[in-house]
Amino acid sequence: MIISLRHPFGLMLTAVCALVFVYLLLPLVVIVVSAFGDTGYLAFPPKGLTFKWYQAALANPRFIDGFLVSVRVGAVVASISVLVGVAAAYAIVRRPFMGSSLLEALFLSPLLLPTLVLAVALSIFFSAHNIASGTNRLILAHIAICIPYVLRVTIPVLRRFDVTLEEAAMNLGASPSATFFFVTLPVIQPGVIAGATLAFIMSFDEIDLAIFLASPRESTLPVTIYSAVQLGFEPSLAAVSAWLILLTVCAMALFQFLIGRRTNS
Amino acid sequence: MLLVAPAVLVFAGLYAWPLLSMLTSSFMEPQAFNFASYKRFLFDSYHLMTLARTLFFGACVTVITLLCGFPLAFLLARLESRWAPILLMITTFPLWVSAIVRSFGWMVLFHRNGLISNSLQSIGLVDEPVQLMYTLTGVIIALAQVLLPLMVLTLYPVIRGIDRDLENAAMNLGATPGLAVWLITLRLARNGIAAGSLLVFAISISAFATPSLVGGARVQLMATAIYEQTLELLDWPFASAISAIVLLIALIVVVLYMRIVQDHEIPVR
Repeated sequence: MIISLRHPFGLMLTAVCALVFVYLLLPLVVIVVSAFGDTGYLAFPPKGLTFKWYQAALANPRFIDGFLVSVRVGAVVASISVLVGVAAAYAIVRRPFMGSSLLEALFLSPLLLPTLVLAVALSIFFSAHNIASGTNRLILAHIAICIPYVLRVTIPVLRRFDVTLEEAAMNLGASPSATFFFVTLPVIQPGVIAGATLAFIMSFDEIDLAIFLASPRESTLPVTIYSAVQLGFEPSLAAVSAWLILLTVCAMALFQFLIGRRTNS
Repeated sequence: MLLVAPAVLVFAGLYAWPLLSMLTSSFMEPQAFNFASYKRFLFDSYHLMTLARTLFFGACVTVITLLCGFPLAFLLARLESRWAPILLMITTFPLWVSAIVRSFGWMVLFHRNGLISNSLQSIGLVDEPVQLMYTLTGVIIALAQVLLPLMVLTLYPVIRGIDRDLENAAMNLGATPGLAVWLITLRLARNGIAAGSLLVFAISISAFATPSLVGGARVQLMATAIYEQTLELLDWPFASAISAIVLLIALIVVVLYMRIVQDHEIPVR
């Protein structure tokens, strides 16, 4: 079937989808637009036009601190997840052993099970056994949920990898580790970067584990917004959320670029 | 083997062990093996109401995402225009924005003097300000928006995989486009619809951030009850028992989901 606006069905379908798009995007538009309002409270549609809340958000130490904590947690989580995840993906795809497909299913299971339950389990577990402290608890928890994302991005890339390239390198005298670093890694690199980006974004945006495990002195940006929103709608809160939306646009563009490069090559 | 060891260690130490010890502790209150925590939940009408409300809530969110998601996925799958990939990207975009930010947007919209209340009043549908904040309806509307992209992403490849000539054949035989979609596409996409619905249901019954912000303390769901017991009342065995109940329901739904996805080769979200 070809959707045509000249046909009543196509017209109706397009109208319904336009409404669905409004529903999908309205909450984001509201945040971005209302932060431009020149009133001391948040209003939509906004009254007046000002950039002062956008500037105020960037100067607010609470938001800056939260942002820096989120970036630090995200960077550590992404690096460790990629190291552990790519190694595991390589072993599962290239050196299959007994039970490796079961292991793959197990490794991917955290993607489908409720994060909230893991948050409860980990907060009880960490407190009962006194493991780690402060932000390290959150980092450990995020690693547990981000490795599956890295695996899911890198396993298909490794499966598509042409094994004869490695064989050629080894025939020419390269050691297994040299082969990995000079042949395999450059080829799968876009997948690795995509996995790292995904892990970073997941950790940066993640809220359930962050609420349950973040140390009260160092909360991530989403937790800072979560706590502040419950006390009242400051315009600068909308502005910092709008900055986050803008950042997401950039991250998504980067991710699409990497995925596109991967499928083109 | 050595390469996979760190991942096994992380999985065992930060996932399997904590979950298992949580499950064990839910059976160890006050001592020895018993079901006291579960009895406390299942023989109390207040807690049972929370469970029933959560399941009803999950069902409502699933139905809304399906009603909005199917037409959108169909349009995106059948659109022959250079706009199609851009529209697909716009659809997935909200998924990348933190759930906190999206819930915040709904809080602004749901405000007593917010856009929704004011527009409903100005078109004369209601006489008084509408209260959607701190209501179950509000949480359903907000969470359905949060999960809608997942539904579209599940349905889109399934509908793309259905030969459009089948729809054309039905239309050549006299069916209107609507009837063709109803008789052909909807039926052939039923496994995708089942998979998307199970996925959204499993996530919605354990979603925490959106219900907590939009619903507050006035909308008791399993997720908010778990939060209360873990962080406010510090009743860990009871929190573990409630979590185990949510985990069990989610597990059943996810297993059904995985079976459908694998049997019919539907791309995982």
